[in-house]
Amino acid sequence: MIDKSITIEDLVEDYPFSVLYLSKKGIRCIACGEPIWGTLEEACIEKNFSKDDIDAVVKELNEMAKEQENK
Amino acid sequence: MAIDIKKVLKRFDISDVNMGVSTGQKWYDTKGAVTSSTSPVDGKEIATVKNATMEDYEMVMEKAQEAFKEWRLVPAPIRGEIVRQIGLELRKYKEDLGALVSYEMGKIFQEGMGEVQEMIDICDFAVGQSRLINGVSLQSERKYHRLFEQYQPLGIVGIVTSFNFPVAVWAWNTALAAIAGDVVIWKPSSKTPLTAIATQKIINDVLKENNVPEGVFNLIVAKSSVMGDNFLSDKRVPLLSVTGSSAVGKRVGGIVGKRLGKTILELGGNNAVIITPNADIPLAISSTVFGTVGTAGQRCTSTRRIIIHESIYDKVKDMLVNAYKKIAPKVGNPLDENFLVGPLIDKHSVAAFRNAVEQVEEEGGKVLIGGEIMEGEGFESGNYVMPCIAEAKNEFHIVQEETFAPIVYLIKYSGDVMNAIEIQNNVPQGLSSCIFTLDVREAELFTSVAGSDCGIANVNVGTSGAEIGGAFGGEKDTGGGRESGSDAWKVYMRRQTSTVNYGTELPLAQGIKFDF
Repeated sequence: MIDKSITIEDLVEDYPFSVLYLSKKGIRCIACGEPIWGTLEEACIEKNFSKDDIDAVVKELNEMAKEQENK
Repeated sequence: MAIDIKKVLKRFDISDVNMGVSTGQKWYDTKGAVTSSTSPVDGKEIATVKNATMEDYEMVMEKAQEAFKEWRLVPAPIRGEIVRQIGLELRKYKEDLGALVSYEMGKIFQEGMGEVQEMIDICDFAVGQSRLINGVSLQSERKYHRLFEQYQPLGIVGIVTSFNFPVAVWAWNTALAAIAGDVVIWKPSSKTPLTAIATQKIINDVLKENNVPEGVFNLIVAKSSVMGDNFLSDKRVPLLSVTGSSAVGKRVGGIVGKRLGKTILELGGNNAVIITPNADIPLAISSTVFGTVGTAGQRCTSTRRIIIHESIYDKVKDMLVNAYKKIAPKVGNPLDENFLVGPLIDKHSVAAFRNAVEQVEEEGGKVLIGGEIMEGEGFESGNYVMPCIAEAKNEFHIVQEETFAPIVYLIKYSGDVMNAIEIQNNVPQGLSSCIFTLDVREAELFTSVAGSDCGIANVNVGTSGAEIGGAFGGEKDTGGGRESGSDAWKVYMRRQTSTVNYGTELPLAQGIKFDF
């Protein structure tokens, strides 16, 4: 289960698909080959995402994770 | 003939599960997450590491604090002797550690050994520096007064290293911090913990033989949830040296700055080569190709942009493309000496590479060669790419960013060399730069006040492959830190100005009268 307090490091490691997903939303999870520091929420706030936007991101990521599990 | 990596792992006593916390004298069995290290070379898991918990972090921090009280009293040349012995041990393990760097990180074996050589070189440098930690004596304006400056150790130095130089950057920092009288806590990249563990094992023998206090040279393999912002905001750590991206550096700078701590930030680069009509072109090509494809473009100082005068543009472009055609069959297993370009660190980096290739085309650029993901026998890990040359404009969004992969952009300039320098400087980063010219005016202009705005500005030497003797670092979004040679040792110390009155009277500075 992904929540907004997950670190980018854990997100990238446990849910690799999230890198491409977040990249399309303007959030670069990997820089210089390493995950950026901080949480998903912090990364979203830096890109001026609202609370609703962040909730939507978390929801979509969880849906994608579920799809991956079912594959 | 590829190197037998099993033998290498055995030499370092690296087993399937390894402890990730050491205080120099002891290894600690921890209860944190068990993470694995996967080789980019073949995609196989090499081994796993038991990470630290918050309790382990606290334990090491306390030991480091105690150790500092003792270590700071050891005379600097004696501290230098320990570093000398570490350098000797590294010499013994140069090939094995170089091979492990190559296998865990992906750079070719020659570069892996070069990385260990850098460790040896900085140890040698630090040994000499241990007898040269000097201050100045100044002339006091007051009679029978002595005014002088001296440097004192800081305390605990936190070192955060990146995967691309998994051990050399630790050595740059640690050798100087150790002779300065500081103690270190090293958080290695989670992608390369085994080279860190191997390095710690190499030095541990020296520390034991010399009874170095437990807690002077510490290693903590930990996730950022255990050793992240808390490490940065920890007031017990007066200096944080962090190598990573500009994004990470801005976070580090913000958190450490908030508590007015010190930082050494070695962050991203967007390094350019300028080739003028007065260049020795064959020399420029050879040097530039190493800069663009060496370490598969994963050095902070890798060449990202080549700025070429319009009068020689087509000639240089053709020579570069031909050189890359020769490189193509040399992409492969970095442990096999027949290859010159190894894999990228992981699939995320491959995706970033592909994204850059696509984006430069979307923005109007043109791919001249490369950009593909390698497939077939030997490339099963999916991490190998064919280095790419693309024509682009400096203002493209993708050109302004650093892509940590072997993609280089050709940019045309016209007129005076100042136009090239302007293009060169017109990026957010400021790490490394160089000009190829045999014209002394162009060369001097490039290194003058009106020239390159980078921390490194070379003439007829490429952007990557710095020696340890000079201070290493860059400006702007590169972070402004300096480590390694020259007077970088001063950053690891606190500067103290002292005035001693050896007279019988009490004259105040500036002639102030304060009689009562």
